Amino acid sequence: MASANDDGERKVTSLRDLPQAVTPPRDLWSGIEARIAADRRAGDGVADERRALVQGRSARLRWIAAAAVVAALAVGIWIGRSLLPTGAVRAPSGTSASTSAGGGTSEVLQAAYVADPKYRRQREALVKSLEARLAALPLDSRAKVIASLATIHKSMQDLQAALGRDPSNALLQELLVNTYQDEMRVLTAVHEASDAGRGI
Amino acid sequence: MTQIEPEGTRVDWEGALVQRACVGDVRAFERLYREHAGRVYGLCLRMTRDPAVAEDCTQETFINAWKALARFETRSSLATWLHRIAVNVALAKRRKASLIVESSTEDEEEGIEGEWTLETPLEVNEIEAAIAGLPEGARDVLVLNAIYGYSHSEAAQMLGVAEGTCKAQLHRARGLLRKKLGVEVR
Repeated sequence: MASANDDGERKVTSLRDLPQAVTPPRDLWSGIEARIAADRRAGDGVADERRALVQGRSARLRWIAAAAVVAALAVGIWIGRSLLPTGAVRAPSGTSASTSAGGGTSEVLQAAYVADPKYRRQREALVKSLEARLAALPLDSRAKVIASLATIHKSMQDLQAALGRDPSNALLQELLVNTYQDEMRVLTAVHEASDAGRGI
Repeated sequence: MTQIEPEGTRVDWEGALVQRACVGDVRAFERLYREHAGRVYGLCLRMTRDPAVAEDCTQETFINAWKALARFETRSSLATWLHRIAVNVALAKRRKASLIVESSTEDEEEGIEGEWTLETPLEVNEIEAAIAGLPEGARDVLVLNAIYGYSHSEAAQMLGVAEGTCKAQLHRARGLLRKKLGVEVR
């Protein structure tokens, strides 16, 4: 059967001598070419796939960055509207931030965001007393603070993961610093609210 | 697997054609098609036993290859890669047409590494007809192993069966072929 267009009457002594190639009865290329052209028109060609492969990484990072921007903005707005007492914000100066806040930060990030000692001391003190101060807050305020911190920490983790893949991305770095500052604002607000004996 | 022809300049120009095809050069891909179409069609024809279906499978194989060319690693053999795709396409066609009669067994028959030598020389047509008359499972492994030179494990991997099943099918194919041809197959 396979030898229909070969020398089928030739005698062989081994199956290994059977022809591996069998010429198709008609040229199949035109059909293949037509399908390729159709796929290309549908944006499904190899060039697109290659471009997609190359661009995939940066596209993913852009999406992550965009998501992080939205998250950071949402947290910022929420803090501004509902958490912060007027004039109570004392964000840490500069771009210093603690790497321990998000956990698992890469060495690259540690180098970029290593906190100055004053910032770290302040944050550690706030974190240490957080549980006790939260307990002193009204229930709804406590829930708000916990939800806010959870959102902030999720943003930190997402940004750290994105920076792990693209450590030199300035936008992601800035967003991460902003997120650390947001965390500091929340911690400060909790501290002041509990001192004043009021809710948030 | 057994090399069809010596590696060397062939690989060089083939690699260059693959690279060009990868960036969308259809003419380069056509050159690759012209080089490999016969072996792909031959495999498809032996697996499907139907020239029209084999033509469809061949076209599908090259279209799938074009789409996946960016993922092909030039270190490996393009011929083998195309054969893998062809086997998948042929098997998928069979499943779609509900033609598969699963006849494979998991018996761990003794492996048979033979040369597929015939006791008496026979005409190609006669042998091809005997092969075409084999049950699917036995025919698939025989074609891949005896004609295209893939090892048991390679054939098993391509067909998605256990290596033991592949060996058992080969054993079965040898016995059936011996009966059909009326000569010893060693």
